[in-house]
Amino acid sequence: MIRLLTVILAALLALPLAAEAQKPIKVGMPIPLSGPPALFGEPASKGAQMYVEEINAKGGVLGRKLELVIRDSKADANEAVRVARELILKENVDFLVGTLTSAEGPAVSVVAKENKIVFIAPIPKTDQLTAADKLHPYVFRVAANTTMEGRSAAEIVAKWPVTKIATIAFDYAYGQDVTKAFVEHIKKIKPGVEIVDQQWPKLGEQDYNPFINAQMAKKPEAIVSSIWGGFFVTYSKQAKALGVFDAVKYNFIGLGEAGSPETTKSMGADYPVGIWGNSYDAFYWDESSPAHREYTARISKFLKDEYPSSWAVQGYIGMQFLVEAIKKANSVEADKVSKALLGLSVDTPVGKLTIREKDHQANRGQLYGKTVKDAKYPFPIMKPVTYVDPTKFMD
Amino acid sequence: MSDLSFVFAQSISGLTAAMFLFLIASGLSLIFGVLRVLNFAHGTFYMLGAYSAYQIVQWLGTGPVSFWIAALGAALGVALLGGLVERFLFQRLYGKEELYQLLFTYALVLILGDVAKIIWGTQQKSISRPPGLTGAVSVFGATVPYYNLFIILLGPAIALGFWFALQRTRAGRFIRAAALDRETLGALGVNVNALYTGVFVLASFLGGLGGALITPMRAIVPGMDTEVIVEAFVVVVIGGLGSFWGTFLGALIYGQVLSFGILFFPRFSIFSIFALMAAVLIIRPWGLLGRPLK
Repeated sequence: MIRLLTVILAALLALPLAAEAQKPIKVGMPIPLSGPPALFGEPASKGAQMYVEEINAKGGVLGRKLELVIRDSKADANEAVRVARELILKENVDFLVGTLTSAEGPAVSVVAKENKIVFIAPIPKTDQLTAADKLHPYVFRVAANTTMEGRSAAEIVAKWPVTKIATIAFDYAYGQDVTKAFVEHIKKIKPGVEIVDQQWPKLGEQDYNPFINAQMAKKPEAIVSSIWGGFFVTYSKQAKALGVFDAVKYNFIGLGEAGSPETTKSMGADYPVGIWGNSYDAFYWDESSPAHREYTARISKFLKDEYPSSWAVQGYIGMQFLVEAIKKANSVEADKVSKALLGLSVDTPVGKLTIREKDHQANRGQLYGKTVKDAKYPFPIMKPVTYVDPTKFMD
Repeated sequence: MSDLSFVFAQSISGLTAAMFLFLIASGLSLIFGVLRVLNFAHGTFYMLGAYSAYQIVQWLGTGPVSFWIAALGAALGVALLGGLVERFLFQRLYGKEELYQLLFTYALVLILGDVAKIIWGTQQKSISRPPGLTGAVSVFGATVPYYNLFIILLGPAIALGFWFALQRTRAGRFIRAAALDRETLGALGVNVNALYTGVFVLASFLGGLGGALITPMRAIVPGMDTEVIVEAFVVVVIGGLGSFWGTFLGALIYGQVLSFGILFFPRFSIFSIFALMAAVLIIRPWGLLGRPLK
């Protein structure tokens, strides 16, 4: 009898422990869901959500389900910090995956450091996020960074028959950093080039006419823009009306995902077909791996969109790295997961990516290509579309 | 491009921006002048004008006149919405504290912004320039798009039409009288409530029209409402709240300062505008052509 009671008692005592093990692993995601940046924040959060649903359907990780807690960071550094703190203190999240702008990323990184919470940034590109003086054990990035993007552009532009180059970028961390990386790299690999003009509209500028006039007065032969997302739609409409693209004979590259399907789709026939652009993903990237084609089919179904967003993959990859690191560490302790992320390689939909030990940066390249009209789609696409692997010029 | 043609190109771009701002700011100024309400939601009407135009173009397809039908239809739709908002919501606020009015119009910004997001989502939308106005003309070596020319001509046309209506028509006289002394006007037997609704409808029409007409030049995105309202406020503050020609002058100054500001402060062009606004506020707090508030 006593033995039986002991067994029951032990079972009762063990119950909370078992419940503890069954408690979901909570991942907080501060990401812009309002304002213009919601264009990317929303699909990125959906990509993460799809991954979480898929993992949970397979039984979760370490026997525990994943739970994603998504909050609107409003693309504002202060708001992102507030939301991140709330996720940590109130929601008791174990990890943070998120932020979008180059203002939010570094700000949330500080919160992650204070609270010793692993933070994976899937979209912010500013070099400052993982720069030597800002780096700490808990911050990781699976986005491209400004060095990689600027240098990729330089590699492409160096092949054009041009020497007089102009740049236009928003006057804040991302725009400044990517332009700097481009200018430094192209001067190194093609010493003859001359930067004839640089324009710095404020972030979110709506009227580019004065900047375009000032730039064209310097007669550039090529233009490198990092006006991103929806802002590129506004910029290129005004630039097209002023004859910019014809004037530079389409020697124009739009960084900041100006070649993404979302952008070409929204502009349709108005898109300045013939310019170069880049994108994180493209559903029409046919020569990619079977894994990518399969991912595209899944995300297309998940988003109920025939031409799914190119941003979803960033949320997806961010969650993938986190889950693989938890598996490798066989723990959800921040220090163990953080160690597991160093040098971790993951087979993502865009290929095998590795987070470098030295700067916690993944070798995430982007797709680049010249935009053309394609009879298969009601909007321009990049063709041929090439994945530029940044591994050789990351330092 | 020679220096002269560059200066000309800059002034044209400044003028285009100015005429858009005038379209939007004139409604804001009119509502303040007559109703004495600072309508934060005016930018929201502008955004709804843009989205409605997009929607109508989707329905009509890209015919030769579909853009114009869309622009007019969007402006009328927004005017109707403005009328409903005024009749059923705003009328409860007249005579209440200004803080309540501000809070209410701000709440309207948030609510209608979310409604727009529910209907049209967060993806950016775009409308092509109307057929016939897609080209450009070269003047003094500067490229001037036809559409910009159209806007530059439309602005003064609307300004003159407006001025004529205010000065020469019976309704215009009532509106001016209401701006000066609404009680006396009511005592004289004029239906002030109907007049207010009319003014609000007209102002919303202008805001909606501005939003619809800007779509060939800008992306339609959530958040365009709050961006434009700040610019419109700067314009009316410089020109004088409630002053019609002041708004016109404020818009002209805003456009040119922005265009030429980048020559002197390439990275601080927006700074020139706010510096100007601050100077106006210090020297003439009621704006260049406004009247001091009692």
